[in-house]
Amino acid sequence: MDLYPIFDWLDTSLLADISKAYGGVFAVVQMFHLLGMSILGGMVLVGDLRLLNVVMKDTPSEVVIENTHKWFGIGLATMVVSGIFMSSAVSLKLYYNEMFWAKMTALAVGVAFFYFVRRPLLSNSHDAIKPSVLKLMAVTSIAIWFTVAASGRWIGFS
Amino acid sequence: MAVCPALCDNVQRSNTEEDCHNRMLNEWLLSLARFFDAQNWSTQIHESIYLYAWIETTHVLTLMVFLGMLFVIDLRMLGLAFPNVRASVIAERLDKPMMIGLTLMVITGVLLYYAIPVRTTQSLWFRIKVMLFVLAAINAFAFRARMQASVGSWDTDPKPPRHIRMGAAASILLWAGVVVTGRTIAYDWFDCHKELPYAMYWAAGCVDEMAAFASE
Repeated sequence: MDLYPIFDWLDTSLLADISKAYGGVFAVVQMFHLLGMSILGGMVLVGDLRLLNVVMKDTPSEVVIENTHKWFGIGLATMVVSGIFMSSAVSLKLYYNEMFWAKMTALAVGVAFFYFVRRPLLSNSHDAIKPSVLKLMAVTSIAIWFTVAASGRWIGFS
Repeated sequence: MAVCPALCDNVQRSNTEEDCHNRMLNEWLLSLARFFDAQNWSTQIHESIYLYAWIETTHVLTLMVFLGMLFVIDLRMLGLAFPNVRASVIAERLDKPMMIGLTLMVITGVLLYYAIPVRTTQSLWFRIKVMLFVLAAINAFAFRARMQASVGSWDTDPKPPRHIRMGAAASILLWAGVVVTGRTIAYDWFDCHKELPYAMYWAAGCVDEMAAFASE
């Protein structure tokens, strides 16, 4: 499916008018993007480092993981909304940018992994899951989200 | 300081002692930046195809680690996350990864400054960022002291007392300021080569432009 019409529409939308004309607004939205990424990253890291037995070893991993879900969603929503605004400033350029598509792929994999693998699996008692599976899942999760953040930064360099 | 007016007496706008001290500090900072700029390593980082990009990427990743841990702690102190986990447990257990993230973030930040020292020294946004960073650090130390002094009385409360929540809110706002000013360093709105009011040159430490402005 060719997504070019969406990017073309975004390039002439009201969002693009604002993001192209007001650098200050763009910078503030970019701040929210980074803060959203930090909230999401913090929740992922706390949960995954707990599964790896690195932090909060005296708190049950079920309690830690359960507490991260709500703020993971808030961080993700902040990232996506601010990301759409930021994309509107250079939407046609992004369409042809390989690093942008690498980030979108990593983001899609991260969201799918979180909602369709990690969350359903961890809703069971963690004692019933092999420790090696928990650790593998934590390492995979950290790797995916670090890739999302790193590839996002590289959009600006490519 | 008696030497100050003597040094500055040829510059009308800098004839007060305060202006003179400011000018001397800015000149010293600019000399230091030019010293770094003349070094081979600084040029190599700046002009390398991948090294600068990797340092900046590491800066963003460590920002995610540091701010991520900080947010978890601050959200708990605001009563918005982990209400069923003791506040002291969150603060103590996440302190180490947070400090690791901060250390790496500062190291990569210093390298980024070292790669482009002159422009960064004269960046209004960089100066505000450093001030906000110092304020955030002071708030963190004060916040930690207040928390340790009183944590026994509210540790298990889902919603900590007001003074703790205020400290956590200040922390988030100050770090948000550090992030936004860090991003705006890339913009050239108030760079010294632009025509700006004297106050902006003063704030950005544009020594040569201030002298030219004053001699007009």
